[in-house]
Amino acid sequence: MKYSILLFLTTVFAQAQNDTINLLNEVKLYGNFSPKINAGYHIQIISDSVINNTHQSLGNLLQNKANIYFKQNGNGMVSSISLRGSGASHTGIYWNGITINSSLNGQTDFNTLSANGYNQIEIRKGAGSVLFGSGAIGGAINLRDKIYFINKKEFVSNIGYASYNTQNIFVQTKLNTTKFYSKISFEKIKSENDYPYLNTNLINENGAYKNYHIKGALAYKLNTNNQIQLFTTYSNNERELSRTITAPSNSKYKNEEQRIMLHWKNFGNKYNSSLKLAYLDETYKYYFNKEDIDYSYGESKNYIAKYDFSYFIKNKISIHTGLENKLIKGSGKDITKAKRNIFETYMLIHQQPIKKINYNVSIRKGFSKTYDIPFIYAVDTKYSITSKTAIKANYSTNYKLPTFNDLYWSYSGNEKLLSENSKTLELGFDYQTKNTIINITTYHTNSNNLIQWRPTTNIIWKPINIQKVTSTGVEFVFNTIKKVNKNQFEFSTQYAYTISEDLHKKKQLIYVPYHKANASINYLYKGFGVNINQQYNGAVFTTTSNTQTVEHFWLTNIQISKKIIKNKINIGLVVNNIFNKAYQTVAYRPMPNRNLKLSINIKI
Amino acid sequence: MSILKKTATLLIILIITISCKSDDVELPLGDYENGFFIANEGPFSNGTGTLTFIGNDGAIEQDVYQAVNNEVLGNIVQSMTFHNNNAYIVVNNSHKIIVVNRHTMKKITTIEGSNINNPRYFVAVGNTGYVSNWGSTSSSTDDYIAVIDLSTNTVTSTIPVGEGPEDMLVKDNTIYANLQGGFGFNNKIEVIDTDTNTISTTITVGDVPNAILKDNNGAIWVLCSGNPNYATGGETNGKLIKIENNSVTSTLDFGTQKHPSHLTINENNLYYNLGGKVYSMLVSSNQLNTNAIAGFDGFYYTMKAKDGVLYTTNAGDFASEGILKVFNLNTNEYSYSKTTGIVPTAVVFQ
Repeated sequence: MKYSILLFLTTVFAQAQNDTINLLNEVKLYGNFSPKINAGYHIQIISDSVINNTHQSLGNLLQNKANIYFKQNGNGMVSSISLRGSGASHTGIYWNGITINSSLNGQTDFNTLSANGYNQIEIRKGAGSVLFGSGAIGGAINLRDKIYFINKKEFVSNIGYASYNTQNIFVQTKLNTTKFYSKISFEKIKSENDYPYLNTNLINENGAYKNYHIKGALAYKLNTNNQIQLFTTYSNNERELSRTITAPSNSKYKNEEQRIMLHWKNFGNKYNSSLKLAYLDETYKYYFNKEDIDYSYGESKNYIAKYDFSYFIKNKISIHTGLENKLIKGSGKDITKAKRNIFETYMLIHQQPIKKINYNVSIRKGFSKTYDIPFIYAVDTKYSITSKTAIKANYSTNYKLPTFNDLYWSYSGNEKLLSENSKTLELGFDYQTKNTIINITTYHTNSNNLIQWRPTTNIIWKPINIQKVTSTGVEFVFNTIKKVNKNQFEFSTQYAYTISEDLHKKKQLIYVPYHKANASINYLYKGFGVNINQQYNGAVFTTTSNTQTVEHFWLTNIQISKKIIKNKINIGLVVNNIFNKAYQTVAYRPMPNRNLKLSINIKI
Repeated sequence: MSILKKTATLLIILIITISCKSDDVELPLGDYENGFFIANEGPFSNGTGTLTFIGNDGAIEQDVYQAVNNEVLGNIVQSMTFHNNNAYIVVNNSHKIIVVNRHTMKKITTIEGSNINNPRYFVAVGNTGYVSNWGSTSSSTDDYIAVIDLSTNTVTSTIPVGEGPEDMLVKDNTIYANLQGGFGFNNKIEVIDTDTNTISTTITVGDVPNAILKDNNGAIWVLCSGNPNYATGGETNGKLIKIENNSVTSTLDFGTQKHPSHLTINENNLYYNLGGKVYSMLVSSNQLNTNAIAGFDGFYYTMKAKDGVLYTTNAGDFASEGILKVFNLNTNEYSYSKTTGIVPTAVVFQ
């Protein structure tokens, strides 16, 4: 135990790739993402081997690995998610099971959230408010730290240098015993981000950014039935907001987020009990002009108490129930000091009446003085046709509560807003062998009372419950692995077709592509690896009348890596946008040209 | 091609050639000689403004500037002004003024640089142009009128003014610049002597003067919308102000929580938009009209009267094409509508 943190910081590693085969293996899941109580849904896991091997923003990772569409205001700028044709605030993002979507605008910026250091990312596409609460309409994504009580000391580091003077460093130490677990990481990413706009003589002016992340997980095993866990993260992001093709910018955005959670896990043969107490704080400062002393700001504080209890009545039947109380305080330059308290409770019954059938029935009800929270319910089922094939189905009602900005923005906020509602029906087919996964899912969602900011006069805009949207789509997943001697081939492809239509206008929503696809080929041989990743983003409309578009694009990235010195060091080279294509995800905001990244992973 | 067609074509060519040689028929000056334009701001956060042209024959053409010049105008087209043979298109967020031939829309040059900073409106007196600028967003004291030599299209000097210079009126070599407030709120008019390019006087009017025009009798009318409820000093009433000989001679108060906008004039009638309705008032009247014109309802993004016709625009959801709605002021009846570009901000006549 001579190692001090400082010593760890000077040594260096990265998670080995040898467990990429885990891609297809059953991954054990706990909490509300566990496959048993999500029998009728498709859950995808991105494991730490993938996370640590690629060291990219969470948005890029989800785009490459889970075929999710992101709308990026240029590289490194605000990146918002649209899952199954839903809005940026309609995907619930969770950190070890508690929601971390901004209380101010309901969204998550995927360029300031770092995936590095988490053990896995759990992705559950599709509506799930009953288990996950407000906002989980397009889907739910969980960033998870896993705790192991085994004797292990590990030091991991990743150092990278990339185009546009981009530097990143990530260091993580793990010190584990059979009683005690600790994992601490530090990460810094810094970039000039001044890439040229292809086919113009402009560059990405005013686009520099600098992000810091600190993460920690500590746990102590009291006895075989009790554990105390402590999780914490802090991130500090400072970004200039880059220009567009038509206008310069000298704006800047700073945001800080901190989270701390105490988790008491108690379990026996017949039950699991989990109590979480958490404090979340987010602040932002927006400088319209970065030289200005004046800025706009906002802050929210969340105090969360969450208790989940599962009881296994018999092997084939179990009850899962929970309570959550959330006190949110918001303030800011344009938000009158406000607070609201929400109390929610849910219950789920799981049963496997015969071997081939699993089903769940669940309900949720919330209470708040601020507004009515609707009663919602869900049913889902999995029918195993053979040992390899299964049919899945689910139906659910869901909601999203208005955000603080919607309710309390000074002179515009509307305290009479109701929650947004949606209903989803989903059908899926799964085929799974040791080496291959095929999944086809189709869904239909009806959303009502969606909140939109509309001009009430030409000066005053107010949020109102007005929009009705139907989203219909098909998703396809195919993954396979083949091993020939020491050669390992992996191929995966995903495709999504999405119609998301405003029912008043009878038009596709802006920034929702009809087509989105990716494909990836991975070749591994004795520590040498090549990965070719192909992305396709269909054209998106930029006007609500569907008259203007951002063109579709193909994007190809290649990664080559080699492990040396007994697999302790992994050297990687990534070439992004290898064909140097000009592309945009948001109109008039070009994305980078061909760019390189060199990185070294060290694991001791 | 038949002989008949060939002969006919030849005949037509001959006629045109002959006609052109005679003095009684003029050559067309360009495709955009006969009609009017709508300047469209474009989407706010990212994108480009556009020009819509509507010919006297009713034909409509979108994205005129882009079609002619194969480039985009820029972000937030704020205004467009004709002067002599040119049109001056002010692009606010791209910080530039694009100079084009008024009849062909062919680009002549761009006026930009450190002296064009958040430009708003353009007026001209003789061979000198004047552009109102808000300056840096971080300063409420750096606002100015840029003085432009129109033969070289360069900024020759700047006239510092109070906060938020907006629309300007030219009357007898004098410029009256509304100080609407820019990023804040203001309540003044700067009177600029164009011989010396200095401020000769400052007139205090109501809060947030948003439109200025002169009537046939030489009086100046200023419509002030009043401070909105979120203004630091609190909400104030809208006012219609008459200025004669550089002093306020009449102030009509709209009452509490009333915020009128878009003043325009047809002969002796003033028109404005208030609470989603259009009102008119004779310039000789000394009180506001309490009855709106039936059938003219709408929250308009701009209004412009000309030759017995009222042109209004509606920006809709600000994220798709807007609508031009035209009314006949003699019969007070709706006349026709046209689709415009995104966020139609000004109707400008040849």
